Amino acid sequence: MDRIPALHRRLKELERMNFQQGKILSFTTIRHPPAGFGPEPYIVALIEHPDGSKSLAQLTREGMPPTIGAEVIPHLRRIRTMRSGLHINDLKYEVMKTQAAPLFTMHAYVLALTGPSGVGKTTITRSLLSLFQPLVEQVPLVATRRPRKTDLEPFVHVSEDEFEAMVARGEIIAHTVFTDRHEYRAGYRREDIEAVWKQTKLPIVTTDLRLLEGLSKALGRETILSCGLLPPGTSRRRMLSALLHRLRSRGQNTEEQIELQLRSAEADLKAFSTKKDLFDHLFVNDRLETCVESIKELVVPQN
Amino acid sequence: MREIVYVLGGGQTRFGELWESSLLGLIREAVDQAIGNTGILPTDIDAVVIGNMLGGEAAEQAHLGTLVSGLLPHHPPALRVEAACASGGLAIHTACAFLESGKAETVLVIGAEKLTDIPGDSVTGALMHAADAEKDAPSGLTFAGVFALTALSYMHTYAITRDDLSLVSFSSHRAAVSNPFAQFRREIPVETISKSPLIADPLRLLDCSPISDGAAAVILSTRRESPVRIAASQLASESLSLIDRPGITSFGSTRTAMSHALAEAGWDRNSIDCIELHDCFSVATLIHLEDLGYCEEGEAIRLFKQCDTESSGSLPVNVSGGLKACGHPIGATGVKQVLDCYKQLTKQAPNQVKGAARALAHNLGGVGATCTIHLLESSS
Repeated sequence: MDRIPALHRRLKELERMNFQQGKILSFTTIRHPPAGFGPEPYIVALIEHPDGSKSLAQLTREGMPPTIGAEVIPHLRRIRTMRSGLHINDLKYEVMKTQAAPLFTMHAYVLALTGPSGVGKTTITRSLLSLFQPLVEQVPLVATRRPRKTDLEPFVHVSEDEFEAMVARGEIIAHTVFTDRHEYRAGYRREDIEAVWKQTKLPIVTTDLRLLEGLSKALGRETILSCGLLPPGTSRRRMLSALLHRLRSRGQNTEEQIELQLRSAEADLKAFSTKKDLFDHLFVNDRLETCVESIKELVVPQN
Repeated sequence: MREIVYVLGGGQTRFGELWESSLLGLIREAVDQAIGNTGILPTDIDAVVIGNMLGGEAAEQAHLGTLVSGLLPHHPPALRVEAACASGGLAIHTACAFLESGKAETVLVIGAEKLTDIPGDSVTGALMHAADAEKDAPSGLTFAGVFALTALSYMHTYAITRDDLSLVSFSSHRAAVSNPFAQFRREIPVETISKSPLIADPLRLLDCSPISDGAAAVILSTRRESPVRIAASQLASESLSLIDRPGITSFGSTRTAMSHALAEAGWDRNSIDCIELHDCFSVATLIHLEDLGYCEEGEAIRLFKQCDTESSGSLPVNVSGGLKACGHPIGATGVKQVLDCYKQLTKQAPNQVKGAARALAHNLGGVGATCTIHLLESSS
């Protein structure tokens, strides 16, 4: 029903109104508009103004894509057309700045990627890092080996004794033994994860089973968004041979090391079915983009 | 309660897209069921209360009280009450007030809605009448949109993932398989829910309770006895528009109604054996469980992950299938919830909770602007 006197009152109200900018508290895209608003989807946001008042209004089509915390400025724009053909204008807001968005607040979580060596943890991490550059950060690994030229991940070198002391003091909350090339200990520090949270970013960790178990014990299982990565293949044997192919083509390891890695990979693959409760999601990394896309959807749930 | 109000029983129609039935046809069917199932004489009814939201908009029928009174041979006094989706709960609450005051000794309570006679976008527009017409509606916001704003904020604050949210609808649909009155009686996997079409992001089709037709009726009495009585009946309100609230991830009306209801009945919330919850949207279920005091803010999803909400779990929630799977004929829902609680307490429920002696019906209007809570107890 088009109520003309109600429209008249609204126009009077707009005349009196002090147009304020604001910040987005929440927003949604209306895919099925109510009668009178046309068939095209539009975005409606809950906006908080500097004087503490709030309003619900559409966002304009120009401007940046909205985020929680984004700054918006008001415009008078057409909002709908009445049955009689009369165009109705009302307040719409344009998104100006989105950097201020604290995407992960107090109840932050950790994104953990687990999978056998060679499955593509590092590659996926790097593409997530580049996709969500200001929002995610990789947690540095504390390890007892020397840094290498081929290191792609942030990395802190400590001596065996220091490592032991940090574990004893409870600073390192999850640790394991890695055997690529030679044996060394590695772990994550609570302060490193908390530092990422403090910047209101999402920490990413790449883990093996022991690290994952350690982290879920120390931080709480529900704090961890745990993704298991499987190599492509319909059977465990096929998956292992896919891994073998990837490890060989890297050319970083000797055959013996590769064999060791394959053996631990076999154990990892088994764990995906025996320790299901440690994983929220399992992904097959046959195509990097689809895998990254699925993880992206988990991290940014609205679309 | 100032008087002992007994629930004698009731009946309901199927919920769904019932193109063959009119609003009055649905009401008649539910009333016939209720009178038949309870075995009372129609002339025992002293008053009728009907809860309905959109009779005028969707069925071009107002004046429902007298319409319903005409179904009974002696035309008892009758009235219609409305509180959007809480109209059914409000009807029960109003009937309790009649009974407690002595104005009536036996009351027929009906909840009914006929939505599918008009096009979808008109229903969408009409449902928005549950929000503030001056503050919320001019932006073109829909009712799913209002809850979407809540959902985004909730998921953002408490780091809830898409698949987490889908667990809620998954659980309702699984429960409804055995409920012959449910609109949707099949299991739906989490992946299907997570990939269903977007309605108002982040809410997808299978996060939303459906648009349904249906009616339910119960008979309450202070004169005739029954093994089930109402231990508390509470009604609470909060500001109608989201923009007048300090936060949008919790509903004050539920908190108020719950604390008053527990005080009225003298119960501990942990003594309640099963809950019928107003799960109009998946995210609402999580918020309600927190507002009812069963978990801390942001923690409710854990109950679903641990399967605590199943009929054999520690806190059975919506074992009927809830609004999501049973359907949500607006005004009928609150009455149907009380009927489902009655079935649980008299061991007639399809998904029976073993030894259920205390039940809670939580009905919500708008985005938590109105809440009714009814506590039911079995004396056996």
